[in-house]
Amino acid sequence: MTIDFYWRLPTHGCHSSLRHGGYDRGDWSPLGTHNVAPGLDRQGRDDGFRYIDHLAEIARAAESAGFIGGLIPSFPNTDDPWVISPLLARATRTFRFMIAFQPGFLNPVHAARLSASLQRATGGRTVFNIITGGGGPAQLWWGDSFSHDDRYGRTTEFLDVFKGVWKGEGFTYDGRFYQVRDGGLSPLLSAEDLPEIWFSGSSDAALQSAAKHADHYLSWLEPFDQLTDKFARVKERTAALGGEQKCAVRVDLVARATEEEAWRDIKLGFENVDEARRRQSRGGPTDSVGAARQQALRPSEARRYEDLIVAPNLWGGFNLLRGGPALGIVGSYEQCAARLDELIARGADAFILAGTPHLEEAYRVGEEVLPLLGREAPALLRAAE
Amino acid sequence: MTIHAYWRIDPAAEPARAERRARQQGPRLFRDVRTAAIFRYDYYAQLAQAAAQTAFDGLFVAYRPEADDSQIIAAALARETPGLALIPEFPASVGSAVYAAKQAVSFQRATRERLGWAIAQPADAETRARDGDHVDENELIARTEEFLAVARGVHGARPFSFKGRYFEVQDGGFDAPLNRVRFPRVYLQGDSEEALSLSARAADVHLFAAAPTERLRSLIEGLDALALREGRTVAFGLVQPVLSRQFSDEAHRDAARLGLGETAMVGDHAEVAGRLAALAALGIRHLVLTAPGSLEEAYEVGQHVLPRLRALTETLPVAA
Repeated sequence: MTIDFYWRLPTHGCHSSLRHGGYDRGDWSPLGTHNVAPGLDRQGRDDGFRYIDHLAEIARAAESAGFIGGLIPSFPNTDDPWVISPLLARATRTFRFMIAFQPGFLNPVHAARLSASLQRATGGRTVFNIITGGGGPAQLWWGDSFSHDDRYGRTTEFLDVFKGVWKGEGFTYDGRFYQVRDGGLSPLLSAEDLPEIWFSGSSDAALQSAAKHADHYLSWLEPFDQLTDKFARVKERTAALGGEQKCAVRVDLVARATEEEAWRDIKLGFENVDEARRRQSRGGPTDSVGAARQQALRPSEARRYEDLIVAPNLWGGFNLLRGGPALGIVGSYEQCAARLDELIARGADAFILAGTPHLEEAYRVGEEVLPLLGREAPALLRAAE
Repeated sequence: MTIHAYWRIDPAAEPARAERRARQQGPRLFRDVRTAAIFRYDYYAQLAQAAAQTAFDGLFVAYRPEADDSQIIAAALARETPGLALIPEFPASVGSAVYAAKQAVSFQRATRERLGWAIAQPADAETRARDGDHVDENELIARTEEFLAVARGVHGARPFSFKGRYFEVQDGGFDAPLNRVRFPRVYLQGDSEEALSLSARAADVHLFAAAPTERLRSLIEGLDALALREGRTVAFGLVQPVLSRQFSDEAHRDAARLGLGETAMVGDHAEVAGRLAALAALGIRHLVLTAPGSLEEAYEVGQHVLPRLRALTETLPVAA
């Protein structure tokens, strides 16, 4: 048994440190003298680098440091993973591109062709993170007017068609959302392997869809007992359907040589978050069950960063420092490795890790934390041999 | 006048070249050291380099459902060819227009606005059913028009709301920095009356199929008048097969061997350049040049025809 460790490509710019706000890598904040990709040249003009050039650096760092690939998230104000992946295909060698996308946005037959072509362009390095949740006005921004449970039905059908045409010619499908008559990929394209499918979503509708089509069930980090239950539930439900489900955790780390140094970064970052934001409600209403579960973790008001420590080495305020989930791991290299070991023991089969800045932290986590894995649970290492 | 010359990559052409699975099987007398690391996309990259080094302005990547996807190819080549325009051809049935616009924006941001959109003409009914596309035959033009309107809408305005027959958006549109790049230049095709009037309303460039000069002249005049009625201007382009050699007899010999169609331009370098210049004089500014044997012919055309064409069009009196 070995564990797949992915890193993350930040598709909304990156900070050079969690200690301060402002995206100084990429062009999401006004360009200053310390910006990169793009930066300013000596005459104060755009230096010609683009954010994709920085993403290429992160992807190469991750592949060199031992990560199998990276999650490429997709939100309204990010660059798009379907474009980033082929743009970086020839700049990387082993890095797998985990494309986050909502199936409703693409015709499934077209998506299958895109994917098979990307498999050919990368030597089989395409992975999917299928997203279905979210909803309401946010979904209409994307031009998608389906209701929450309809969207899971559509995701299931999308993957039925996607996998169906991939088997080759003569595929016919008559669904509620998709119909195909005598379709199928050409032999050239169908000879490629199907991308591995990672699935997110915490609702019952999501779990049902995941059980049918997902290879990995992906969850944000939650308090360990809660996560253990969730994984057990997912694995049970899949087993009942005659399948097997691997479980994966997405989590940010602040890993430093000592625990004190790690918390110091959190403290400095937290002190830079303005009062109003610290006190702000725990986020707006959402019909995403995962987002609601995260919101419930946070106290409604935090005066000190310590107020957000929910368990040893677990801090619930990451979303104050950057976009994304609230809960993350903070500690020394050994402590971070021990927490990851614990998650493995509780059913995690794979991880998507991240840290800020993503470039330097890919090396740090790859070099300092990953080699320590298994010390707390020697049985895991023996199983890997 | 500025002529934009694009070389066309046909992903389905020369299917055995650089294709791992097509390599000779069984015993070989030559020592074959090729690994799996040498593969088809290296050939696409080489085509792109060939086009760049021979001073084409861009690459037009044809839509071939049975082969590698045009948008994947265009993106995979983009960072290796800093100067070239990249114009993938794809049908309006790919999915959400909002999502297509978002992908275009990412591509533009990463490549300093080198993307073009060539919308493929709709396939026949049977093919569309195979592709899971169920828009009715007589609504295809309307769907393409709405696809472009929504894509341009979310790109051009924030908030953008729209409720049409095929697409719906509420409070859409991009924030900074995604709203800082231009929308890709849109190339439409087709010689039917409906296609031409769609172009009059929605194309930046209309690409005609190769045809005799008189026919092209009348198509151009027709489209020009239609566009004028819409209060727009549409640039004219042409997809033109060419086969050029040092001597005309060699060109005709090879054209017969390779099976080029009637509309192909076949001749010596000066002859082909002269005929292309004559098209430029009709008002055609965007030339998508194509030939079987994409790498070899890219050099033939890029090295010998394009310099002559440019010399001719630069000395012509300003027409159109």
